[in-house]
Amino acid sequence: MTDENNKTDEAPEYLSRKVFVSSENGLHARPAGRLAQEAQTFDSDISLVAENQTVDAKSILDILTLAAGPGNMVELRARGADAEAALDRLEALFLNKFEGA
Amino acid sequence: MADSTLTGIPVATGIAIGKAFFVNRNHMANLPRQIVAAEDMPAEIKRLHAAFKDVETELAAIREQVPEELKSHGSLIDTHLMMLKDPKLSGAAAKYIETLGLNAAWALEKAVSDQEAAFEAIRDQYIRERMQDVRVVAEKVQIKLMGVKTDLSSISGRAIIMAHDLTPADTVELQVDKIMAFATVRGGKTSHTGIMARSLGIPALVGVGRLEEVHDGDLVVIDGLTGKIVVNPTESELAEYNERAALFEDYTRKIRRHCHLPAETFDGSRVMVHANIELVEEVTAVLDNGGEGVGLYRTEYAYLNRTTLPTEDELAEKYIDLAAIMAPRKVVFRTLDLGSDKFISTFGELNETNPAMGLRAIRFCLKNPQLFKTQLRAILRASVYGNVSLMFPMISGVKEIRQAKAWLAQAKAELRREGVDYDPDMPLGTMIELPAAVLIADFLAHEVDFFSIGTNDLIQYSIGVDRTNRHVSYLYQPLHPATLRAIKLVVDAAHQAGIEVSLCGEVASDPFCVPLLLGMGIDSISMTPQAIPGIKRIIRQTNMHDCRLLLKDVLECRTVSRINNLVMDNIFKHFPEEVTFFSSLLENDELPS
Repeated sequence: MTDENNKTDEAPEYLSRKVFVSSENGLHARPAGRLAQEAQTFDSDISLVAENQTVDAKSILDILTLAAGPGNMVELRARGADAEAALDRLEALFLNKFEGA
Repeated sequence: MADSTLTGIPVATGIAIGKAFFVNRNHMANLPRQIVAAEDMPAEIKRLHAAFKDVETELAAIREQVPEELKSHGSLIDTHLMMLKDPKLSGAAAKYIETLGLNAAWALEKAVSDQEAAFEAIRDQYIRERMQDVRVVAEKVQIKLMGVKTDLSSISGRAIIMAHDLTPADTVELQVDKIMAFATVRGGKTSHTGIMARSLGIPALVGVGRLEEVHDGDLVVIDGLTGKIVVNPTESELAEYNERAALFEDYTRKIRRHCHLPAETFDGSRVMVHANIELVEEVTAVLDNGGEGVGLYRTEYAYLNRTTLPTEDELAEKYIDLAAIMAPRKVVFRTLDLGSDKFISTFGELNETNPAMGLRAIRFCLKNPQLFKTQLRAILRASVYGNVSLMFPMISGVKEIRQAKAWLAQAKAELRREGVDYDPDMPLGTMIELPAAVLIADFLAHEVDFFSIGTNDLIQYSIGVDRTNRHVSYLYQPLHPATLRAIKLVVDAAHQAGIEVSLCGEVASDPFCVPLLLGMGIDSISMTPQAIPGIKRIIRQTNMHDCRLLLKDVLECRTVSRINNLVMDNIFKHFPEEVTFFSSLLENDELPS
């Protein structure tokens, strides 16, 4: 039952995108900080999913506890008015190895 | 009698007398734990968020002031800022106020504990260590909530800064013109505190037990010569230290006047006196103190206190600066001398049971050729800007050095192909710090252009003693007959093969040991910049002939105590002043035998 509930909660409304962690140390302090910083500029709820763990992309502590290593696949999920823009922005960060803007 | 006398490890010389000012004191022992009435909860939550906001504002202001050259510290502050802004931390604390009625500081403590539990489950040690950062920012907020003033800018007048530990991040907050000395509970000989203090020219002690007993405003004497802290001294003690400080200042002035003269003995033997440094910023100290070159540039610092590996360009920029500023004087770059434990975030954890004998230094580099080659290429690029040499640490055999040389050849070939200039004749040396290297010094001498004896490790490895272990540290004896024989063997093998030999351990700056090194025929010695004037002065007032006679007598002694007495007598006779102001490695309590 609970599974079903989750599905109806989340399923149709969020946008999703899969990215790879390309920074050489994985999602460590600096990349996690950059990611949270960018995520906080959007109104949408944004989460990161890796290995069955879902965390809040606006929280550096949450991102750190994900402990995603280099080469790991992570799913970005966003729900809200600016979800599309948020995913574009965060995906670009992953692609640029969190360097620059 | 003074209230108390504490002891620490002196990492920067000098004597300072002033008021103690404690930063980063452990306030958590007095954390208030109260239950808040339901009607006061909204106000308490407000107070919590306001404290977060205040700390964030303060930190953001500090972030603005971080100079360009401390950029890596800046990113640490960025991490701390993001933690402060993290809804998880403040939100979880607010929830504890709301649900359990805890006061704000206590609620935050609970929130941090929850976070700790979440982090403990993580395999990646680097990420687990970030918990310390969560602690640091939470403590700042808690201190704010407790109304404790720790504003570093509130230091009135000049003060002696005391701390549990001083991190690079703390030191960017300090107003250096107000600091007379440092004393910390944590830290060892190579800690950041010492580097800071030496570059500021103030005394510093680290590893001071019971330092937390000192109160803000206590009058303290920091003796960076003997490693003592005298808390609230009596009138007569104060007078004595004032006189000692004045004498030391006179002495320093006197020896510095002549520190630019060559280190040449009465009978015309010349020894080069170089400096050991780890930051480019230290070159000022090298040149001011009469250093004739850099005999050991520890490249490790660029790899510490950061989460990513430095790039080749980043390293080359530093190395080129150093080579160019020191030219035509020599700069010897030692390749990375760190253990794998410092690179867990990049290369994973090894779980070594005995890291001192594990994957360290040259072994680590040969296992990670990409990292090694980045460094070699950066050093080669710097070689055209000055008088650059390269040396490898912890070499144990001929094969190892040939492997390292093969990587060097490959780095050269790459640069050649890319059309990048380097000095094809850059001298190559090896450190001699393992007994194995001592015993095959004659073989190794045919592989390199020079030797550099690293006595700190050589003594530890040959006597099998960890000098930081107080149960056995009495065995750490620089003038142990075995150490002396080892040094002599290496010097003789080098000279037999026609190569130069230098010595860069602490022994090089110990006034008691220097005459023996001269007697052995060491070509150059390298030490912390501040020690150069005193050692040059000793050499300039010595006779090589006497050094050889002393060495001959010493080599016949069978016990350390006999050797120590001989060399001490010799120094007391000729250099009473040096003995007043220098602490020696020989003052190492031996067990009654």
